[in-house]
Amino acid sequence: MVAMKNLKYTEILKLNKALEGNIQSKPYEIGILSNVTVNSLKEILEYLCRINRIEPKIEFGNFDNIAQDSASLKNKDLNIVIYDVLNIVDQVSEFFEDLEDEKYNSLINKLFTEIDIIFENLRNTASVIFNSFSSIYYNYNNTNFSKIEIFVKELNTYIEQNKTSNVSIINIDKIFALVGFNQSIDYRFYHSSKAPYTFAFLKNYVSAIEPIILRNSGKLKKAIIFDCDNTLWKGVIGEDGMDGIDMSPTTNLGKFYHLVQRIAVFLSKRGVLIGICSKNNENDVLEVFRNHKDIFLKEEHIVIKKVNWDDKASNIREIASDLNIGLDSMIFVDDSNFEINLINEKVPEILTIQVPITLSDYPDILLRNVYTYFNLVLNSDDARKTEMYKQQFEREKNKISFSSIEDYLASLEIELTIVKNDKSYIPRIAQLTQKTNQFNLTTHRYTESQLEYFTSDNKHFVYAMFVKDKFGDNGLTGVCIVKEDENNSKNVILDSFLMSCRIIGRNIEFVFIGYIIKELANKGYKTLCSDYIQSSKNALVENFYDKVGFNYIGNINGTKKYGVKIQNFEIKKIEYIKLVFN
Amino acid sequence: MVNMKIKEVMSAVFEIPLESISDDSSYDNIENWDSLRHLNLILALEEEFEVSIPDEEVGNLVNYKLIELIINDLLK
Repeated sequence: MVAMKNLKYTEILKLNKALEGNIQSKPYEIGILSNVTVNSLKEILEYLCRINRIEPKIEFGNFDNIAQDSASLKNKDLNIVIYDVLNIVDQVSEFFEDLEDEKYNSLINKLFTEIDIIFENLRNTASVIFNSFSSIYYNYNNTNFSKIEIFVKELNTYIEQNKTSNVSIINIDKIFALVGFNQSIDYRFYHSSKAPYTFAFLKNYVSAIEPIILRNSGKLKKAIIFDCDNTLWKGVIGEDGMDGIDMSPTTNLGKFYHLVQRIAVFLSKRGVLIGICSKNNENDVLEVFRNHKDIFLKEEHIVIKKVNWDDKASNIREIASDLNIGLDSMIFVDDSNFEINLINEKVPEILTIQVPITLSDYPDILLRNVYTYFNLVLNSDDARKTEMYKQQFEREKNKISFSSIEDYLASLEIELTIVKNDKSYIPRIAQLTQKTNQFNLTTHRYTESQLEYFTSDNKHFVYAMFVKDKFGDNGLTGVCIVKEDENNSKNVILDSFLMSCRIIGRNIEFVFIGYIIKELANKGYKTLCSDYIQSSKNALVENFYDKVGFNYIGNINGTKKYGVKIQNFEIKKIEYIKLVFN
Repeated sequence: MVNMKIKEVMSAVFEIPLESISDDSSYDNIENWDSLRHLNLILALEEEFEVSIPDEEVGNLVNYKLIELIINDLLK
């Protein structure tokens, strides 16, 4: 796939048009609020969404009407606020540097109030992108501060300190630096049409906000698969031998491979699954990972290895199915043109990265992709994920020796702990709603601030489930969100029910939902309604509610509707799973 | 070559089929040609041909023939 910044605007328009209408999903609603003209952002942003399999629906506010429009364009999946200093300063009738204190203060106080209004109105939007203010337009002198620079500093401090948790601030000075200021701003069109930004700027801007959009719409990646020779080390182990390959931090070329290995270790600590896919004799490669003096990436960081002479497309497909993740959740890194093209051709869902010919660029290219496509917030569950996937393999192996699956499950000594409305787990719960695709009945994605709201409004119950067995602790791996029906206080609606794929296949879901129904019945609720909303990935749970014993009501636009009386509802007993209360 | 490229840019920016653009196409007979798209047209032409269209010409590029004339001039 050609990087956005290498595409001309006309090409983006054509490609975007070709993708229009191809993506079958609920539209991702974006509201753009701006005090300058940014209409050409529309197609560029649409294109970025569509190449990530997101169908966007973009709505612009009125020109220079941000505070007022924040009231009407709220509750989107994403709001982008572009409040450019150029058009703030232009509305000051005097020369800004000569502005009297009184006028300066009234201007800045007016802006603070507007910013307060914007943040307040957008409080319940899933995610807000707010551009930092920039004074780079008024860089008269490098040794002392102009009044405008001080003004901009005050504004930036204010937004940092007063923003709500759903707001991400984009530092546009970084984009100006990357693109070059003169390539970013076109004063001709600023003065004629209040449209200051060039296509070059807009393309880089859209790339800068891409990670936020991916995170929000559950499109983040989960695994990265490396080739070995000339990808993790310089040279070919089968030919050059242990002494001939180079990954030393102190040699000219070795140091880049050393850094790449360090990046891989960094990722594994953050819950990214690391895999190896190499055409080699397995023993040669294992020897490197176990005994090479400079190896930094060790077997303990690697979840899965496919070292054989089969074609890599088949190997990659096997990796996806072994790890139980989608092909579009993986990144593949290889130095060979042939392999990269093969994967692009045969498994186009996978994002590929080719080791660049200029090796000094390699770590940077890798890092740029890593920071775009992975969630790198460290949480304790992530750090243990590699360990947990390994335990999963242990369990799979163990399975074979038991005669019935029930016997096997009973031998696992599964224990569940369920908590309700516990704010301390919100980051992990948000992450699960955003990343879980397969065992997810409705695929509603939530941000931390939305969950914060749910856990405190008395109308929602957010259940989180922890799973443990004799092989290890899986941590928080199940979420259920229930809300009281606004129109009928005796009815509850199952808004979300999802489980991490690593605990699937153990009947845990029945115990989890059984517990919740019992609790809701004890609270006095009479009925429960639930939906199965079909997505491209959740066929696994298509009949889950039938299995639980809910009454199927009908299918409306692809959504299967269910209802059940819960007062005397009995769910099948799973004797071998223990519920623990704390 | 230049002629074709200009028409391709116009087709993409105005979202109309390439075949519908002729030498007589102008601001008056292309419905989508409003002031915002005019701006995108200028920027897209500059990007496509790697030229910079002078301020005073921006307002003049209101039909296909004038665009061709000025782009060819700038490419000399």
